[in-house]
Amino acid sequence: MLFRKKAKPVSQLSDEDLVAELQRDMDADRFGILYDRYSSKVFQKCVSMTRNKELAQDLTHDIFLKAFVNLTKFDHRSRFGTWLYSITYNYCLDHLRKDQKQRTSELDDDERIDDGADERYEAELLSLRADRLAKVLDVLEPADRGILLMKYQDELSVKDMMDVLALSESAVKMRSMRARERALAKYHVLFPEEP
Amino acid sequence: MSENPFKLIRSTDQPPEHLRAEVVGSVKFVMMLMRMLQLFVADPSAALFERIRIVGGSGEGRKSNTAEPPKDPTT
Repeated sequence: MLFRKKAKPVSQLSDEDLVAELQRDMDADRFGILYDRYSSKVFQKCVSMTRNKELAQDLTHDIFLKAFVNLTKFDHRSRFGTWLYSITYNYCLDHLRKDQKQRTSELDDDERIDDGADERYEAELLSLRADRLAKVLDVLEPADRGILLMKYQDELSVKDMMDVLALSESAVKMRSMRARERALAKYHVLFPEEP
Repeated sequence: MSENPFKLIRSTDQPPEHLRAEVVGSVKFVMMLMRMLQLFVADPSAALFERIRIVGGSGEGRKSNTAEPPKDPTT
């Protein structure tokens, strides 16, 4: 008689094990388990990025489909959650750029960062009233909004941001600083009476 | 110390329940397309011409497939 190690129920598998199984044998119901684990996060990210629940619903559908089609490309070097976050962020950004026909301004990523000034920007940004910050984010360019949400709301490390944005460390820091600068500039336009 | 305002404005919305069925349905449709494509790539001639009979030069195949007109029972 053969003694086999009892297999874990599929629902208890880690994300990475589940993805490895899906890479061997595609199965819509097993993919549904990944959907159950991440749909709230993806949907909420889409709402944050687009400020539109109906659009966020469409984007969430497309993002999961895109993840499924590209599942064989997931190389297990990062966590599945980070990989899916990257798809979510970039898909939302692409959609917003196409939709609004906006172009992010060219950034000089090699420019040096004035650490003192940037610390002041950060402190000022984090001291804003939440309702006013929401208004600032509404009028900010999608790329800047995305970076700020990534850093201060989702609390991604610089390393994770480098993976998601496919940028070097210095470029990530520069873009974060520029996003903070532009957010504060918008704030002072929207609320000129504030210091 | 005041709370991070970015955390205060975090979305707490949940995706609608019907979205799961839509996503899984779309995934099944994509899987079906991928399988059809796999079949086609593996053997395109079989996938396209499996049910077509190629007749020989002598015309035997054509002859055997051609039914004779029914005889008129009144004649």
